[in-house]
Parts: sequence; structure tokens; C-alpha cells
Amino acid sequence: MFILDLSSRGVKILANFQSQFMTLTLGGLSLGFIYVLIALGYTMVYGVLRMINFANSEIFMFGTFAAIIVIRDIFNFTQQSEPATGFRLVFILICALLGSMFLSGIISILLELVAYRRLRNRGANKLAPLISAIGMSIVFAEFVRIITDSRYVGSPRVMEKSSLATFFGADIRLDNTIVVVAGFILYIILQQFVQRTRLGKAIRAVSMNEEAAKLMGVNLNAVISGTFLIGGLMTGAAGFFYILKYENTVFSIGFELGLAAFTAAILGGIGNIKGAFYGGVTLGLLETYASFFLGTQWKAVTVFLVLVIVLYFRPNGVFGEAITQTRA
Amino acid sequence: MKNQRSISVVAAIALAVGTAVAIAPASNAAARVVTIAYQGPLTGDDAQTGVDELNGVKYAVKLFNAKNKGKYEVKIVEVDDQGSGTESAKVAPGTASNKKIIGVVGPAYSGATIAALPFYKQTGMPMISPSATRVSITDPAQGLIGFPVFHRIPATDAVQGPALYKLATKGVTSPVVYVIDDQSPYSTGLVDYMKKGSGVSIVGTDSVSDKTTDWTATISKITSAKANVVIYTGYYAQAATLFRQLRDAKYTGVLAGGDGVLSNGILTLASTSVLEGVRLTGATVPLSEVSAALETDFKKSMGVSSGTYATETIDATNVFLSCIGKGISTRPNMLKCVKAFKGKSITGLPIQFDKNGDVSGGPMNGFEIKSLQFKFTGAIK
Repeated sequence: MFILDLSSRGVKILANFQSQFMTLTLGGLSLGFIYVLIALGYTMVYGVLRMINFANSEIFMFGTFAAIIVIRDIFNFTQQSEPATGFRLVFILICALLGSMFLSGIISILLELVAYRRLRNRGANKLAPLISAIGMSIVFAEFVRIITDSRYVGSPRVMEKSSLATFFGADIRLDNTIVVVAGFILYIILQQFVQRTRLGKAIRAVSMNEEAAKLMGVNLNAVISGTFLIGGLMTGAAGFFYILKYENTVFSIGFELGLAAFTAAILGGIGNIKGAFYGGVTLGLLETYASFFLGTQWKAVTVFLVLVIVLYFRPNGVFGEAITQTRA
Repeated sequence: MKNQRSISVVAAIALAVGTAVAIAPASNAAARVVTIAYQGPLTGDDAQTGVDELNGVKYAVKLFNAKNKGKYEVKIVEVDDQGSGTESAKVAPGTASNKKIIGVVGPAYSGATIAALPFYKQTGMPMISPSATRVSITDPAQGLIGFPVFHRIPATDAVQGPALYKLATKGVTSPVVYVIDDQSPYSTGLVDYMKKGSGVSIVGTDSVSDKTTDWTATISKITSAKANVVIYTGYYAQAATLFRQLRDAKYTGVLAGGDGVLSNGILTLASTSVLEGVRLTGATVPLSEVSAALETDFKKSMGVSSGTYATETIDATNVFLSCIGKGISTRPNMLKCVKAFKGKSITGLPIQFDKNGDVSGGPMNGFEIKSLQFKFTGAIK
């Protein structure tokens, strides 16, 4: 009787999954692209320094607040405001995106100067910058907690979340489309930047062999600052997309999203740009499907179980060191 | 002569000022200083609830101090537990060991109450909560963990659970109800009591973390179940994200929540189009419903409108103040006085605690959000 009941429940869930498959996939994809951009922040720094930037989660948090400041305080949107349309909407979205990228980029550079550079120049061991980054992460989060009274901060709706089309019963919504398309464009730009530009080549050179790169005349400090800036810009963009999709933030938001993105980076292979991409997208989809099939309470269990299994067979993540030419 | 007159005038003024200064401390010194505390979330996700309640305490104390000038002076110690059990366990020992404090209004939340209870019980600290509604605190079948120090003004979740279902489904033809909890004891408890109500039918449930931001999977389940009533039993910050994403997904049915959502905080986190028509329960009566004049006076006195649980907070504070007015100045005497208290709420209903610390017969009321404001819809019957 119990087995019959279980199997009939299974059949019902499968039938529901079929009808909701595209909705879940589109939702999971847009969440995944936010993970991708944050994971790129982790991966860029790891690729060059071989160290985890634990403050990247707070760089993301600053990006979310910057987007709200632009929307709410510069363009004077309130919860009662009518959403913008046309060129005005495009202008506001671009300003908010640039505002988030700018603030996160600047803070990321400052972070490198304060938490990494001096320690590196004085020959500190690998653990010292790790701890100083964690310290900066706590300082950033507590600073924002104090000035916001630990409260959630809502973003007024700047854009009507209208449906562009219907695809296999699922609405293709404007906000999800923007997140996926713009996220993908940023990923391609970053990949091309690392492959084709002078700074990109220098980043790859430092990533492969720091000493040899120095001997070839690469300015190590400039490359590392540049890497932090690029990582900050990507993470800041994620902050903007997060606000566009979820419309609120809080001082601790970086911890939740940062942990997920870090997991994505590890899943794909940290230090590997392609790894961050596939890791982020996979994690977004995995979380969404697991929540639907097993119940939301099983999401974290499923994700980390998959991570452990993947690492068991591929200790360096799915892509690991295999794609050295695209490693940052 | 002119100089002599000037000196006399100056001397007279000095004498008058000196006398006034000398008299003033004498009258203050005669006033007996008594301290009570308020404990609730003054920072954190649920700070709005705590700030609203603290304003209620301040208002009641301000009126009392003005009425008893020269006789009593009541001071308030603010204890911030961020609405969490973890924080409460950190701050409660300090409050319990502060011998000046002879009573605590609060804690606001049940989890924080349970965490604080060992410290307050150990030191015999009388507590009156305006909003902690978890049944187990005063339920003999579940260990009566609040006895003997805990008391509360509102009705419990045993009343709220079924009432929330009733309110959410009111006027809905063929309701298909989907219930979501946030995995906290308050939230899951509310669902459990809801299920015990008569005629309750729930098509599906989901249990999500209170940090959830992406609700895609839950919404897909709601859509699959063809639910036309969604009840969320967590707190307002998550409720705002869930309700917004549901409306974005073209869900047009009823949205409802318990008193965890009934906080001014939600009104700043989502737009009118999302929140319009949201149905909420609360064992509270808005001060403006009690008396428009009282609300006006509150606003004039505190500089802000009254918030959620202002009425119950004023009631809880008034119980302590009534005892202080009888000359009570120690914790053991305060506890005896609270237990023997027989009086009236500012709503006119009687307040008398039973042996477990509850006031029987408290109503469970309904609210609806209209144009980003809570509209009181009366007792749920």
C-alpha cells in the first residue's frame, strides 16, 4: 500500500515536472547566471593569486545596494512609482548596472590594496591574506548592517516584468531574459578579454607562472589590481541582476549567494573561467529542480551531495586544470 | 543708590533661582525610581516589530510618569534580541542579573522567549509578552515551560492557525489551499495548529529556509497544484519576496499570512500591486480601532503612528505600571501582583491571567492590505 502510494506520488510529481519543466529551467537559468558572475569574481582572483577572496561575497552585497541607490535615490523611484518604459528604462538599467559595477570594482581594488598587497610585498605566508580577507568581509558586512539597522532594503520596481513570449507553456519574462542574455554577454566579453587583450595575456601569464611572468616584464601589482577590478566588475554586475530579479537586499545577502557561487566555482573548477560558467548554470538548475522534486528543504542537501560526488571523481572540479588556456 | 538697587535685584534673582534649583532636586529625590525592560527585535530583519512595540512601552510609561510626577519615575531598559533565540540567550543573562529591573515587557517572539526563560525563571523575573504566541510556553501538556514567570496578552497560535485558514479561504469558492512554512518553530507550529482546525483541506505544503530568495520551484508546485489560496506562515521579509514572485508568475489567487507578516516592514519591501488584498491575522487590535483620540495622542506624543501590537504592548506595560503604582518595587512582589492582577485592557476587555499565564478569550483579528496600509477587518469568526 505504501509502495503504491509512493509510486502514485512519483508519477504525479513527474507529470507536474513535465508541465513545469520550462518554467523551472528558465528560473534556474537566470539564478544560475547570477551565480556565474559571482563565481567569476572568485575564479579570477584564485586564478592569479591561488587564494580564495572571501570578501567577494560582500563585493556582491555592495553591488546590490549600489543598484538600489541608483534606482531609488538617483531616479527617485518609490514602491508606488509606475515602472519605466522605453529609452528611459534602458537608460536607468544601464546606469544601475554601471553603478553596481563601479562601486564593486572600486571596493575590490581597495580590498586588494588593504588585505592583500602589503602582506604579499612583505612576504607573508598564504594564510595571512586569507584571514585579512575574511576580516575585511566581516568589516564590510558589519558596516552595512549598522547603517541599515540590519533591515532588508527593498528596491522599487523599475521595470514591468512582462512576458515576452510563451515557450512550451512557460513565460519568457523580461527580467529573466535580461539576466541570462546580459550575463552571457558579460561572460563572453570576459573570456575574450582574457584571451585577446594585453592585460588578459598578462593575467594568464601570471596565472601560469608568476616568476616567469615577472622576468618577462609583467607588472605584477598592476596585473593583480586589474584582476581584482575585473572580478569586482563581474560580481557588481551580479548585484545589479540580483536586484532586477529579486528587488531587495540585506547586509547578509553576500553570505548566502557567495557560498552558492563559491560552490559553483568549485564544482566547475576554481581558477577556470569556463568552469565558473558551467558550475554556476549547473548549480542554478540543480537547486531549482531539487527543490521541485524533493521539496525545498532538501535543496542544500542535494547540492552538496552532488558536489561531494563530483569532487570524489574529479577533485579539481568538472573542468579542473584541463582548459589551461582559458584559465584566468 | 542705583548700584545698591541693582545689587538687590541681582541678589533677589539669585535667591529665587537658588531656591528653585534647591527645590527641584528635592522633588525628584522624592520620586521612587523603578526600572522595567522591553525585550524584542530592535535591529535585524524584524526590527520594525520591536521598534513599534518599544514605542508602545514608552508611550504608556510617559503617561504614567506624567501622572505620577514626584511620586514615581519609571525607567525603561531596551534589550535587543533581534527576534532570535540565539541573540536572546546572549542578552537575557545581563537583563536577568540587572537587579534594578523588576519586570520585562516581552520578549516579542516565542523563540526568543524560550531562549530567555531559563535566565528569567532562575531570577524570578516577571514577564508579560505582547506578542509571543507559541502554545508550548503556557501549555501544561508540553511542559508549561514559561511557568511561573511568563504571562502574555494575545491569544495563542492554537487559535491563530485555524483562524488564518478561515480568513484566507473566506469568500473563495472551492478553495485550493497551498501552505508554506519557513522551517522556524513558530512557522511550523502555526501550520500544525492550522491542520487541527475543522474542515481544513490543504492541497500541498512546502518548507523553505527563512533565507530563501528564489521561489521558482515553490511557485511551480503551487501552479501545478492549481492553488487559489497561498498561506505563508513565516515572517514579513520573506513573505514580501514570495508574494512578489507569485504575482510576477501571474498568480491571481488569495495571498495570506500570520502575524509574522503583519509588520509595517512588509509595506516598504513590495509595491501596491503586489500587496493589495493580502490577508493577515493577528491577535492585536490597532490603536486607531481602539480609539481615534488615543491614536492621535500617541502620534503627538511619540512622533510616529502606532505600529503592530501597540495596544497589547500598552496593556502589558500597564499591568506592570499598575503594580508599581501600588508601591511594588521588587521582583517577587511584582510577580505576585501580576498573577493577582484583575483589570481592563485599553480595548475594554478584561485582563486576568490564568494559572499558566494566559489571558483567556482574547480575539484573533483579520487585516487586509489596502493601498500599502493595514486595514482592520475585525475578529475572525
